[in-house]
Amino acid sequence: MNSRTKIATAAGGLAALMIALSGCSSASETPASSTSSTSDAPVDTPAEKPYVALISKGFQQQFWQIVQTGAEQAAEEFNVDITFEGPDSEANVDQQIQQLQAALDKSPDAIGFAALDSQAASPLLQQADDQGIPVIAFDSGVDSDIPLTTATTDNKAAAAEAAKQMADAIGNEGEVALVVHDQTSITGTDRRDGFLEYMEANEPNITIVDVQYGGGDQAESADLAKAIIASNPNLKGIFGSNEGSAIGVVQAVKELGLPDGQLVIIGFDSGLAQTDAIRSGLMYGAITQNPIGIGYETVKAAVAALNGETLPLVIDTGYFYYDSTNIDDPEIAAVLYE
Amino acid sequence: MATDSTAQGPPSLLRIRGALKSFPGVRALNDVDLTLGYNEVLGLVGENGAGKSTLMKLLSGIYQPDGGEFFLEERPFEPMSPRHSQELGISIIHQELNLMPDLTVAQNIFIGREPHRFGVQSDKRLNAMTTELLDRLGLALDPTLLISELSVAQQQMAEIAKALSYEARVLIMDEPTAALNDNEVDTLFGIVRRFVSPTTGVIYISHRIQELSRIVDRVTVLRDGENVGERNMAETTDGEIISMMVGRKLTGKERPPAVKNQGKIVLAVKGLSTAKLLRDVTFEARAGEILGFAGLMGAGRTELARAIVGADPKTSGTISVHGSEVTINSPADASRLGIGYLSEDRKKLGVLVERNVRENIALPSLASFVRGLTVNTALMDVAAHRYIDNLRIKTPSTTQDLGNLSGGNQQKVAIAKWLLRDCDVLIFDEPTRGIDVGAKEEIYALLNELVSEGKAIIAISSELPEVLRIAHRIAVMSDGRLTTIIPNSEATQEKLMEYATNATTEAATA
Amino acid sequence: MSNAKKSVAPVADASVGARDTGKLSHRFQGSIQQVLAFASLLLIVVIFSVLSPHFLTANNVTSILTAATVTGLLALGTTFVIITGGIDLSIGTGMVLCGVMAGVFLTYWGWPIWAGVIFTLLVGALIGFTNGFSVSILGIPPFIATLSMMLITTGLALVISGTAPIYFNDTPDFQKIMNLTIIPGTRFSMGVLIFILMMPVAAFILSKTILGRYTFAIGSNEAATALSGVNVRKWKLAIYTLSGVFVGLAGILSASRLSSAQPTGGLGLELQAIAAVVIGGTSLAGGKGSIIGTVIGSLIMAVLTNGLRIVSVPQEWQSVFIGIVILVAVYLDMLRRRRAAAR
Repeated sequence: MNSRTKIATAAGGLAALMIALSGCSSASETPASSTSSTSDAPVDTPAEKPYVALISKGFQQQFWQIVQTGAEQAAEEFNVDITFEGPDSEANVDQQIQQLQAALDKSPDAIGFAALDSQAASPLLQQADDQGIPVIAFDSGVDSDIPLTTATTDNKAAAAEAAKQMADAIGNEGEVALVVHDQTSITGTDRRDGFLEYMEANEPNITIVDVQYGGGDQAESADLAKAIIASNPNLKGIFGSNEGSAIGVVQAVKELGLPDGQLVIIGFDSGLAQTDAIRSGLMYGAITQNPIGIGYETVKAAVAALNGETLPLVIDTGYFYYDSTNIDDPEIAAVLYE
Repeated sequence: MATDSTAQGPPSLLRIRGALKSFPGVRALNDVDLTLGYNEVLGLVGENGAGKSTLMKLLSGIYQPDGGEFFLEERPFEPMSPRHSQELGISIIHQELNLMPDLTVAQNIFIGREPHRFGVQSDKRLNAMTTELLDRLGLALDPTLLISELSVAQQQMAEIAKALSYEARVLIMDEPTAALNDNEVDTLFGIVRRFVSPTTGVIYISHRIQELSRIVDRVTVLRDGENVGERNMAETTDGEIISMMVGRKLTGKERPPAVKNQGKIVLAVKGLSTAKLLRDVTFEARAGEILGFAGLMGAGRTELARAIVGADPKTSGTISVHGSEVTINSPADASRLGIGYLSEDRKKLGVLVERNVRENIALPSLASFVRGLTVNTALMDVAAHRYIDNLRIKTPSTTQDLGNLSGGNQQKVAIAKWLLRDCDVLIFDEPTRGIDVGAKEEIYALLNELVSEGKAIIAISSELPEVLRIAHRIAVMSDGRLTTIIPNSEATQEKLMEYATNATTEAATA
Repeated sequence: MSNAKKSVAPVADASVGARDTGKLSHRFQGSIQQVLAFASLLLIVVIFSVLSPHFLTANNVTSILTAATVTGLLALGTTFVIITGGIDLSIGTGMVLCGVMAGVFLTYWGWPIWAGVIFTLLVGALIGFTNGFSVSILGIPPFIATLSMMLITTGLALVISGTAPIYFNDTPDFQKIMNLTIIPGTRFSMGVLIFILMMPVAAFILSKTILGRYTFAIGSNEAATALSGVNVRKWKLAIYTLSGVFVGLAGILSASRLSSAQPTGGLGLELQAIAAVVIGGTSLAGGKGSIIGTVIGSLIMAVLTNGLRIVSVPQEWQSVFIGIVILVAVYLDMLRRRRAAAR
């Protein structure tokens, strides 16, 4: 072949290869990134069971697997079919959009969605709206008016619970500090404010001596916590507002060699390191979100929407406080992840 | 061409026969012979562009010759690289020193040859080696000082010590006294004297003709890439040497047309000095006249131009435009006062090669093309066309990228941009460098048109024939000073070269 | 008129030679810089001690050293690169990748700790070598070459770890590398000891070996160094590789501290490390610098961060503060250099 033909062939081959590969990662093909529950997703069936398509922010991560479990529970209870999909990582916006597109193509009766990028998703959501398909947002939701409701954790209330537990643990008086993951995200500010406002309103004898931000980075949070502990020798407790922050605080305590339980540490979410710390007594307890509730409530809300009920703007999916006494209870164990 | 002295004589240390070297468009060396004997200091002189540095680069392995034979101690030798040449016994000390300012003298001298054991090297041994070397050479220099802490003369000493540490047979020195004061020159000569021996020799390149007699035994003169003669220093005069340097026949139209509009003084410079080079330069440029600036490289002409337009700071002196004293702190100031400067390095400093013709022409006057918030390209086009016609710039359109134009046309674009700015004084630095003969004449004609319209032009040029061709009056600079200003009618190449090399005291008797 | 050669007096005079300030001059110069930096450090320490009694306690001091360890090791290694006039933006993410690789070696593949450590160092060296290759052989400007390496290592760390942390539960002794208490009764840990030990090692390499010599030479005048017959390419390659070894070591210690490799941790550490080097008097233009300076710079950064936290300066102001300190330190250094050059 002359060189031009060679190039054309190579280009054609390359193009074919790329099409094949992209086909491999598209949601409708890969079984790994999606699943159906009781029966296969019906295509163009007349109204038997309603079909709800759920697209979440991730799939393999344990948190989302638990969300899926909750969704399946609701599907069983309310007699609907669901599919649950999510991209390989929270950075994979394109993949999520493709999944959303594929879901729409199946003409579901309702959609559940947690957006990685609200902007990117908005044309598709608009399309759903135009077709009269109700959209239920969950977890961090969607920045849009189209979803009828958002099923999510009330971070403020969850943090308030943490504050309450902290207050109980230290005898309702003393000095407490916070290591927050950041002050620009809603989760960061809500959890911080929820904790602070509770203390302000209910615990006059408890002083908040410091609030510092560690970016959720464990090492940074550890160094931070050590500084806080050093400058507040009478410190009784520290609240870590997410997994990285909490584990950082635990690390700090380890490095300083403080006896277990001298400092009351309350964390947020779970993860292996946190659960280990709670079992071993290094951490006093933690607040976990309710991923089962998130999945469950989303499907439930979808059903309600299909029945024409009006929905509140936000559905609080709840939280749990857990410590070494109840960590193995089935209810708690179900919502924890590694 | 062929030397008449040592063809079959005593064995020579270094012999070059028929060296040839060409670069695209120019033959730098044309069948050059050169002989350096033992125990001899050979002076090598010539104008800028005569071929001296090309010849030295062949010897030091930086270039490879296109033809010719080289013999070191009567044995053929072909240096393939600077390091190779060094190893063969040829040490060259360039004008720009090759030193690392943040390292010490000792570290510089022995870079790449440090005494070490498993990669660990000892400063103590290094300093001891350096001290021993410096003592042997008779140089008092502290090996532990950083190069950046030394004066230029001391840095040169360090460079010399480095060159000599390689057990060289032939030492080549390129303009070594350029930055030295009298004391330091004496010390340098002492070093050279110590180096010369029955087994070694020195090639000494310098434009300071009157210095040669103090240190050089014989002198070889290069002109336009050829060896035009050799003399024993004791048997010749500075005047003869200069004559040989410039002794070419002038061809073509030799003198500029008479001045038509010679008028008022447009630019007056008084007592201009700069920190580095210029000393007390005073002159006037008149409307309708081309004032030429001749001199050798390093004489300070470009520095003068840059100081006038504010590109470099000056330590003293005043500048007056149209009779009133002005302050110029930047080229923008100069431009506003009507002084334009075309630098010698056109590609780097004169034009924007990636931009197109009309943008280049409009650049100094860009503000005048702004309508509202944007630059109006239609207006720029009109202006560009005017100059394309007037200057006969060969370009298919105003939006042609400048890089696609020939050198001559690029130069015309550079000129056009200052014309558009409507300058009264134009300083041209090497206006026809890199331009072929035909285009040169066009530029000369252009310059004449400009002055006949009443502008004042200062033309800096290293080509003596060119200066004589276009300038009505000629100023000569040497080592930062203005040595003379003479009318064209009194100027000859020899005279200009004398002034340029500061050999004026002998002029009358040469 | 004759041009008879006049004789020249033999050279013996010492007037051209050492200045009176002579031998002490440049060593003193360098020392001035270091003394100033050290004095600034002392000043900061004194200020914070006054502002809070909790600052200068044994525990807090070791906390500061612990916080300085990982960034400090990065700074030690990158000092070499910066002195050559280059820069390495990939050290932070490279460290993260090395931590992840340690996880691969020890947890996924079940290797013994010593093997995992050695191979992690090799991974770091490989990253450094690749940077060196791009810069010295391919001729890509260091900023771009290491920027792209930064992106590559970030991605690789996420891909290899599956975006999840890798825990070292199978090798519980691994965390001892960083955390083992060396001096009983104190919190002085092995990681800090390793950091402290690497300081004279780095200083020795920089000042006493050929590699160190050429680091300065290349930074001072690369062209002249090459013309002097030094194989600049080979040595630049070696210098970047050396820096990579420090990156590997930092990765090991960082993973060891948390007993887990966090693929998303350690963001922005490269800028902190470079800031430490610059505060310590190493010029980004190359040719000048010292390990002592880098150590002091790292300590200044760590002390400032800790001190500001101890006196509860709000987070936002902490970054502003540190940014200003860097600006001032570099500006003062430039002033000093300008004054020295004008002499």
